[in-house]
Amino acid sequence: MGPALLVMLAAAVAPTMGGGAERTLIVFFISLTAVVGIGLYSGNSGILSFGHLSFMGIAAYISGILTMPVQMKKLTLPNLPDALASMHLDFVAAAVVAVVLAMAVALVVGMVISRLEGAAATIATLALLIIVHGVIIGARDITRGSQSFFGVPRETDIWVAAIGCALALAVARLFRDSVPGLRLRAAREDPIAAGANGIRIRRERLLAWVLSAGLVALAGVMLGHFLGAFSPKKFYFVDTFALLAMLIVGGMTTVTGAILGAISITAVTEILRRLEGGIEVAGVQLPEVFGTTQIGIGLIILIVMFKRAEGLSGFDEWDERLFGRRAAASAPDTEDDFVPPARQGETLAADGATKRFAGLTAVDGVSLTLAPGEIVGLIGPNGSGKTTLLNMLSGVLPASAGTVRIGGRDLTGLPVHKFAGLGIARTFQNIRLFRVLTVRQNVLVAALNAWPRTSIGEAYRRTARVMEWMGIADAAGVKASTLSYGDQRRVEIARALALQPTYLFLDEPAAGMNREETDALMETLRRLRDTLGLGILIVDHDLPLIIRLCDRVAVLNEGHLIAEGDPAEVQRDPAVIAAYLGRKHQADLAL
Amino acid sequence: MRKRLTYMALGALMGVTASAVTATAADTITIGVATAQTGALAPFDGPVIEGFKIAVDEINAKGGIDGKIKIKTIDKDVRSDPAQTSIATQELVEAKVNVLVLPCDADPAFAAAAIADKAKIPGFSTCASSPTLPLMGGDYMFANFPGDNVQATVSAKWAHDQGHRSAYILYSPDTQYTTLPLYFADVFEKLGGKMLGKSTYKLEQQDFSAEVTKIKALNPQPDVVMTSAYEPDFPAFIKQLRAAGVTSQVIGSDGIDSATTFSLGKATEGVVFTTAGHATPGSALEAFNKLYKEKTGKASETVFNAIGYDLVKVIEAAVLATGGNVDPVALRDAIAGLEGVKGATSMITYKGTSGMPVRQVSLVRVKGGERELVGQPSPDAALIPAPRMQ
Repeated sequence: MGPALLVMLAAAVAPTMGGGAERTLIVFFISLTAVVGIGLYSGNSGILSFGHLSFMGIAAYISGILTMPVQMKKLTLPNLPDALASMHLDFVAAAVVAVVLAMAVALVVGMVISRLEGAAATIATLALLIIVHGVIIGARDITRGSQSFFGVPRETDIWVAAIGCALALAVARLFRDSVPGLRLRAAREDPIAAGANGIRIRRERLLAWVLSAGLVALAGVMLGHFLGAFSPKKFYFVDTFALLAMLIVGGMTTVTGAILGAISITAVTEILRRLEGGIEVAGVQLPEVFGTTQIGIGLIILIVMFKRAEGLSGFDEWDERLFGRRAAASAPDTEDDFVPPARQGETLAADGATKRFAGLTAVDGVSLTLAPGEIVGLIGPNGSGKTTLLNMLSGVLPASAGTVRIGGRDLTGLPVHKFAGLGIARTFQNIRLFRVLTVRQNVLVAALNAWPRTSIGEAYRRTARVMEWMGIADAAGVKASTLSYGDQRRVEIARALALQPTYLFLDEPAAGMNREETDALMETLRRLRDTLGLGILIVDHDLPLIIRLCDRVAVLNEGHLIAEGDPAEVQRDPAVIAAYLGRKHQADLAL
Repeated sequence: MRKRLTYMALGALMGVTASAVTATAADTITIGVATAQTGALAPFDGPVIEGFKIAVDEINAKGGIDGKIKIKTIDKDVRSDPAQTSIATQELVEAKVNVLVLPCDADPAFAAAAIADKAKIPGFSTCASSPTLPLMGGDYMFANFPGDNVQATVSAKWAHDQGHRSAYILYSPDTQYTTLPLYFADVFEKLGGKMLGKSTYKLEQQDFSAEVTKIKALNPQPDVVMTSAYEPDFPAFIKQLRAAGVTSQVIGSDGIDSATTFSLGKATEGVVFTTAGHATPGSALEAFNKLYKEKTGKASETVFNAIGYDLVKVIEAAVLATGGNVDPVALRDAIAGLEGVKGATSMITYKGTSGMPVRQVSLVRVKGGERELVGQPSPDAALIPAPRMQ
């Protein structure tokens, strides 16, 4: 909350520096409010938005109509509907109404935009900007069309701007570390892993979108009541790019970044615009050169993008840099080392599971079961469909035909995040961690999605516990991407365990580990099966590991299940030997 | 901490500029120029300030206003942004300027007008033509261009004098300027003319077949078709109108005072439009154009240069009227009482207006790709319609 305090302090100091400085600061606060607002969505979701200024415009017009004196409205907006013409609210009430209405619009729009990914979502926000601009111009009776909308009382003084800005900073910062904020950031880092860990990405995006629209709307209310006169072009491309420039220069993913960006662009603008007016420096009169401000801003963007593509602040907030990530919510309480057993029960069963990719049948009519308390190995040559089968069983890919059931319940066609809730957790062949999140956050975000839901405190405790199990507790505060390959695999398993699954799918968990690490992993997996009663389905090329660890082995070849049973039997199965192992590898199997 | 340091640095910087400015003596008038030298408004504010500077240099070369009061300017680029205009205006107010010059567009001008009004410093928009601006901008807000309602009055009066008795208007509610034909209709009816109908269009509509069909279907055909559409709408409209065989007199406004209008051949032949000035031999505008060529080495391409020159002439006249008193309040009162100031484009009168000057308007006809002066009537104040809000 440091920045919020600084904002208030600056507001207290500003009036002593003259009205020009005060106005500069007001504009800065309003811009910063808008920038952190956009950042709340774009930063946490990773989807750049061009559309947020539409909420700024909507709120500026709505609040302006509500605060404008009735007499003025009669004069300037003669065709205003009677209900609006006679309505007059004070500034705060009008601000609340405008922000709420803008958020309502955002909710409707967000339902569409949150379904889109990456560039498609960005383009949709661009469309939103253009559509709202058109609607504001078209609603002439209410907005005066393209003409100046004037007569709005100038209520935004330095304190209003400072309070609004401090509020926005606080909301954005709290959101970032909140449960939805953490989930959304995880989804930004890896949407597939996020879904598999129970995160409903669309819902999280929608929440952030609506919240951020609210903050940007607040900036719109303040701007409207600062200028007193505006028109639709104030909420269009030019200002969109000016604010996005601040966000991108500072670093989109943090509130610190928004602040740094707004400060650096404002500071450079302020300095350059004084120079371009033809200032006298050390007795030398510099010529008047207008336009250097824009060139200066362009250069900053270029330099920052070249030197630090993630923006000035990088991925960390200032306090995270200064004090480190927030300390653990206490180490696991040994007194309370209660480990809830996995939900007892039913067998996970794939029946005739088939996956076709445009002509290629990757998995063809495979039936396989996994009961709690057993470890099943899934082997087969490269391209035999092992990972595809795992993807179907975990809901990451929908099956083209066949069913996946738990007991009597058909999971076919359910969204991926539901699979996590039903007790299915997994790791990925090509490690899908939430890279810029810490190890603890990686695990915690999954722990928060365990079903049935538990308290946040319990999620923290479970996080600590599974990190302990996997031997990564020491690395809890470290960014996941900085870990060694083997440690990253362990974090992925810990994350899967945090979901409190009944079934655990491991896709090449021992890849990148040496023999001792592999042995330790095997030990851990056995213990998990014994203590938690987990059903584990494991894909690996390390055949000795599979054969020693597994209760049962299933062999895939070219999408077909060619053998299944006791490891020793499968090892001797002629079909397996012929199709997969080849005679010359028989020696390996004798281990 | 970093933030506070930044602001302390900024504050120090501002202190430097402020102290540089307060060194104004009583024999100087300081004009704060907060205009858009970059951005969307630059094509308007740029040429105005160019002409403005020529006038300032000319006066200062002769020892200043009345030979003794030098003109000093403080220039700020507001980058076509209302918020920046508000900041720059506040800084100019603190620099104790005597007069403010503000952008052409209503948004930034309004943002600055509130500050000018509070500080009691007269301000001029460089070239806003909407009469709403000085009316709603307060007592200290003035415009520097023929008002839309004044232009419409001149063209309606001329049409009526030519014996035209029926008219049709094409306008766009998208901007204040493109609603100018509504003023035309008011005046035309007041004079006893008959309005046969009106059509609206969207800016950059390009396809005017629906509107043209409506006009073509009128029986009898209107004597006059009036519009304030400009590029790219006007060329599209006039070509489609003439192609449909409509031969009515077409009247436009200063928005089509551009090279394009004179290059369209038969389509625009005979079109009459109102504009801020016309360089007849021996006229002030001709003299200005010569001066401009002398100073800049190129021919003046737009009447906005002369409009900037006019602005300084108005300020000069106000200083002369106060007897050399450059106190902003005294200047405001003097400006509001100015009558018949000789500018480069026309005689300029503020007396009896709400801040929108009464200026002669030139009527120009397109003839063989050249401009032909039809007349430079002074509008009849009684005919000028009240500013329209919507």
